[in-house]
Amino acid sequence: MIEVENLHVAIGSVSILHDVSFRLEPGRLVTVIGANGAGKTTLLRSLSNLVRPQRGEVRFDGRPVADLAPHLLARSGLVHVPQGRQIVPGLTVRDNLVIGADRIAGHSADTLREGLDREFARFPVLKERQHVLGGNLSGGEQQMLAVSRALMMRPKALLLDEPSLGLAPQVVAAILKALRRLADDGLAVLLVEQLALLALDTADEAHVLQRGRVILSGPAHELRRDRAVIESYLG
Amino acid sequence: MSLVNVFQLLVSGIAMGAIYTLTAKGLFITHLATHRLNFGQGDFLMVGAFASIGLLVAGVPAPLAALGVLVLMGVLGFLLERLAIRPLDRLGDRAGAYSWVLTTAGVALVLQNVIELVWGKSTQYAPPLFSATRDNVIVLFGVGIFIEEAAIILTAFLVVGAFYWFLFASRWGKAIYAVAFNPEAAALFGIDVRGVVTLVFILASLLAGISGVLVGPLVSVHPHMGLVFTIKALAVAAAGGFSNPLGILVGGLAFGVAEAFSNYWDSAFGDLYPLLFVMILLAFRPSGLFGERHADVR
Repeated sequence: MIEVENLHVAIGSVSILHDVSFRLEPGRLVTVIGANGAGKTTLLRSLSNLVRPQRGEVRFDGRPVADLAPHLLARSGLVHVPQGRQIVPGLTVRDNLVIGADRIAGHSADTLREGLDREFARFPVLKERQHVLGGNLSGGEQQMLAVSRALMMRPKALLLDEPSLGLAPQVVAAILKALRRLADDGLAVLLVEQLALLALDTADEAHVLQRGRVILSGPAHELRRDRAVIESYLG
Repeated sequence: MSLVNVFQLLVSGIAMGAIYTLTAKGLFITHLATHRLNFGQGDFLMVGAFASIGLLVAGVPAPLAALGVLVLMGVLGFLLERLAIRPLDRLGDRAGAYSWVLTTAGVALVLQNVIELVWGKSTQYAPPLFSATRDNVIVLFGVGIFIEEAAIILTAFLVVGAFYWFLFASRWGKAIYAVAFNPEAAALFGIDVRGVVTLVFILASLLAGISGVLVGPLVSVHPHMGLVFTIKALAVAAAGGFSNPLGILVGGLAFGVAEAFSNYWDSAFGDLYPLLFVMILLAFRPSGLFGERHADVR
């Protein structure tokens, strides 16, 4: 589904990612963990073609992501929930949900209605607050909205950049549970997180990123048991 | 000064004010979505006015002439974005953050000279749009009002209403707000940011063109009239708070009315006072009458 091959990314003269490679398959929840500044956000940004790599390639469905503009990539099923949620504050919850989805060719009014019903069932609070402006939601509600907005696009792969940021623990747990269920239902999920333990508890597979390099990869439950890893690399 | 005079000045002021509002809306919409604006907005208005005169004089009926001007202005807005805005964005930091001021003003100079080449330096007078002669009058509450002015006010308000509907209720208006909020995030949820940028420049150009068509019967038209309109539109947009569409409406009407009255009292320097008011206002309230710091006002 997503293949990352020998990715080198520099921003200006600062090198951010070195030789990063991994794969993401449908039905798998993969997490990339690492401290602040390890290059996690840049990794997601290069997956969405927001930054161009110096070397290496990212392919989605066998096709280089460099071939598609970010908005077309999103419409074709590689959907990225950016850091900080980025809910449009002046649009209602409902408008935030449909704003991207109704631009996909072949999404009829019925598709949209089905999508809304599905997302309202997933996060009932969004249904209650569907006519409230996005800017008036709590952080947790905004994160649910950000996930639902992405799912409205009917993604094949979902990328999430630190969904836990600034949220209460029980809200984080609810979001992670929703992601787990999505992966079990066949979606490819890539979760970038600073909260390593929670991410490892949820994921199938993990990569530890340190100063732009993948220094450790493996099944999440094995990394979870390896206390040395967690203490030395994640703090 | 009689009550009749006051009423007539009020109507003239609202007519010009509505035109300033429309012109300033064009600055507002591109500033909202891209933080850039057309420093030739007034010259686009001038082109609209000349195109309208050309078509009307050639005997084209007014509605068709207006349609023709709209098509022309749409193309001009598209070209402006392609020639004066997009290449700079592609250059990124190397071009400098405010290079678009020079490129859009440069396009304005080209337009001024092209129009001068076709029509010459002399002043033109537009045939009336809505009545048989420029000074047809209807009597309202015992006061004579130019039909042209009344119809222009009505049309301008219809356009402002349509603009609000587009901005607040249509899918594209919502996309404009999403891009204004964060272009990169907008792209991530599937919005064609380049398309939205092109759209706002086309909209701005259409608004200038409509203003040009409407202003023709009110003022004399010449190739270098644009700069004054650019300055007044900037003043109106700044006074209203650049990011507040309602503030611009209030600011534009107030500016037009103030100008009508100050010209009545001082025919030599009448245009000066409203601009002075705006300067003083901005000294005390830099974000304008209804300005808010963030771009999203809803």
